[in-house]
Amino acid sequence: MFGLLLIPGTAFLTAAAKQRFADGPNQVFSGGPLEAGELHTGPDPDWSVVSDVVTIEMQLLDPPLSRRIWTAEFDGKLYVWSGYMGTTVGRLWKHWPIQAERDGRAVIRIDGVRYERQLVRITSGDVLDGITAAITSKYPSLTTRAGVEAGDVWLFEARPRN
Amino acid sequence: MRIYYWCIAAAVVLTALAVLFVPGVDDFVEQTVLGYVGRAAR
Repeated sequence: MFGLLLIPGTAFLTAAAKQRFADGPNQVFSGGPLEAGELHTGPDPDWSVVSDVVTIEMQLLDPPLSRRIWTAEFDGKLYVWSGYMGTTVGRLWKHWPIQAERDGRAVIRIDGVRYERQLVRITSGDVLDGITAAITSKYPSLTTRAGVEAGDVWLFEARPRN
Repeated sequence: MRIYYWCIAAAVVLTALAVLFVPGVDDFVEQTVLGYVGRAAR
């Protein structure tokens, strides 16, 4: 029986490894660096366009891996986040928030256009009320200000990189 | 029993090669995983 489980396990691990060499993630596996697409220069666009975008591709510069994540706009700024960070499973499962806190340089790709960003973690402040409201109105998410302040949700503003 | 292990080893190698080089197989794996994840999330 164990032998038979090796076959789907091999398929899973091989597909995951193969995606690491691809330009961007797919819906399940992390991908390699975001290489295709025009690199945006100049002032930021109107981020309200992401209200129609379910997921974006985001790559950290270190390590240069990409994944699909949810995003929301509030007050003209772009935000990404990671839940379950207060749990052991979440900490084992999600590495990118910890890596982003260490080095926030990132590239995001939306509709084929790449944007250089600096992820800055936000842990407190009244702005959290508006951001979490934007998140819960867009997604079936239970993200709350208290959750962010308690460290269960790691929230980052994706600022322009200078 | 020895044949069984040889068959499993061959199947593992063929699976890895298929995912790597046969078009669409990696997509199939992705969709299958997505299906399981989606069901587990509901």
